[in-house]
Amino acid sequence: MDQNQRAPLRQRLVSWLILLLGGLYFFVPLIATIDFSLRARKGVLSVLAYQRVLSDPRFASAFTFSLEMALLTVVVGVILVVPTAYWIRLRLPQLRPVVEFVTLMPFVVPAIVLVFGLIRVFSRPPLLLTNSFTGTQILLVAGYVVLVLPYLYRAVDTGLQAIDIRTLTEAAQSLGAGWWVIITQIIFPNLRSAILSGAFLTITIVMGELTMASFLVGLKAFGPYMSQVGQNRAYEGAALAVISFALTWAFTMLFQFVGRRALGGDQAFGAR
Amino acid sequence: MAYLSIRNLSKRFGQTLAVRDFNLEVERGEFVSFLGPSGCGKTTTLRMIAGFEIPTSGNIILDGADITFLPPNRRHIGMVFQSYALFPNLTVADNIAFGLKVAKRPPEEIRKTVGEMLDLIRLSGFENRYPYQLSGGQQQRVALARALAIHPRVLLLDEPLSALDAKIRVELRAEIRRIQQTLGITAIYVTHDQEEALSLSDRVVVMYEGKIEQVGTPFEVYNYPQTRFVASFIGQLNLIPVIVEDPQHGLVRFGNFLFQVDPAPHLNRGQAVTLALRPEEMNLGRVEGRNHVEGRVLDVMFLGAIVRVRVDLQGREVLADLFNERQLALPRPGDQVIINFPPHACWIISEG
Repeated sequence: MDQNQRAPLRQRLVSWLILLLGGLYFFVPLIATIDFSLRARKGVLSVLAYQRVLSDPRFASAFTFSLEMALLTVVVGVILVVPTAYWIRLRLPQLRPVVEFVTLMPFVVPAIVLVFGLIRVFSRPPLLLTNSFTGTQILLVAGYVVLVLPYLYRAVDTGLQAIDIRTLTEAAQSLGAGWWVIITQIIFPNLRSAILSGAFLTITIVMGELTMASFLVGLKAFGPYMSQVGQNRAYEGAALAVISFALTWAFTMLFQFVGRRALGGDQAFGAR
Repeated sequence: MAYLSIRNLSKRFGQTLAVRDFNLEVERGEFVSFLGPSGCGKTTTLRMIAGFEIPTSGNIILDGADITFLPPNRRHIGMVFQSYALFPNLTVADNIAFGLKVAKRPPEEIRKTVGEMLDLIRLSGFENRYPYQLSGGQQQRVALARALAIHPRVLLLDEPLSALDAKIRVELRAEIRRIQQTLGITAIYVTHDQEEALSLSDRVVVMYEGKIEQVGTPFEVYNYPQTRFVASFIGQLNLIPVIVEDPQHGLVRFGNFLFQVDPAPHLNRGQAVTLALRPEEMNLGRVEGRNHVEGRVLDVMFLGAIVRVRVDLQGREVLADLFNERQLALPRPGDQVIINFPPHACWIISEG
């Protein structure tokens, strides 16, 4: 009995130790970065580096550009993924493994291969897109949609799993609804939390993306801009890293908050 | 011609024939149940009427028009599901209004119909609740109102009470019948629960392995089953092997006991047949004009209104259901008893 009680205590100590090590691994570089970013002025702590970063017009323009690309990616991705995932669950369940494999491609094919492929195919007729800025933006969003597929598809598919889409679809059909009404009024609203979580993941990924953005639009995007600042100016680079980290966390918290609220709803749906 | 007419309907899923040669005529305002064990094809048949499954062969004719291949959203047939299937993102009022909004009815009419439906299901005041804020029974009433709001030509109910507690089930059962009769709506009800089917329906369709076994009023299918399956599936049945002694006068022998049954001239003297009768026809003691047989009590189950006595008749177990009364002297296991039953209660199943 005594020993039984002692064993969990030792286990708990080990758990705490592992947590502590993990925490150090995570926080030490972060604290070091924050500390370094505050030392742009010699001898004192100051927010000079942050002021410089935020007052650089290229920061705002790169940030807004990437945010726009991220939002476009969300819109295109959701329009593509939600009906597809819905239809596969409803009518083509035998195709699920195939689609899941396709959505995992970005993990197998590196972004650099994807972007070179895109550039090769779309830099000559009949599909010439790389000669205009709009064209490259289209390519960029298309590339991002592929890149975020694993996250978006999985989030939406899990959301679909949580609701009985077959019966809801049949109920709507028996009430006279066609496919457009079913998808827009039943499927989308009930997937809200899943779509939101997929959307926030998409935004965080796109905001920091470097490879595709470098080759297609260069410094106009936030990723390449961050990378260049980091290479050229040490303190500003550190400040930018902290800002980007804070933004990512803000998005994650927002997602957690929305997700938890929606989860309350999901649990209630589960009790049907 | 009948209001709803189902002709030679069959449905094949791969190698299995889920429904075979199903024929049924349903009159306007009739309440018909499809009753059978799981896998008997009752739900598949219902889903073909709803339009969710396309028949392999056969036709479904509703109000003079062939709807066999019409998409479900153009059939104007209401459906209530076992899992309620309320739209989780919509309030009670919006759920009920859904079909009317899809049909682009004027807002004034929608509001009026929703109010009427809430009155009908006795849930006025619940219009702004969400489905997850309702109990199972309330959700199923809302689902019923939602299906009825579009004034469907036929109401289909797919095991609507299976997910509910026993007490709620009985209450809602009465509610469904009341609403169906108030509106005079044609209803088809799928269930594996014989009590539901018998208590609700004008007619019961008993199905087994994709085929109709018998169609009839609850009284007919219970008291005059036409197949061995119907006899054994609906209600309890005592089976006693006997030898035909005199077919013209309806005399059969069970060991040393001679039973008087209905004359059965088609049988031969000396033929081995099975006597079937319901437990409620069997009683204890001697009563003039009845058949008698001796047995030993195995056990006694007190079920409230009924006392079910299991009796051993020379190695053959039978059940006798006695009505409870306060003066009843309950038999005890091991007691030797005399069982009586009336001649007309028995029907004869010839083997093979």
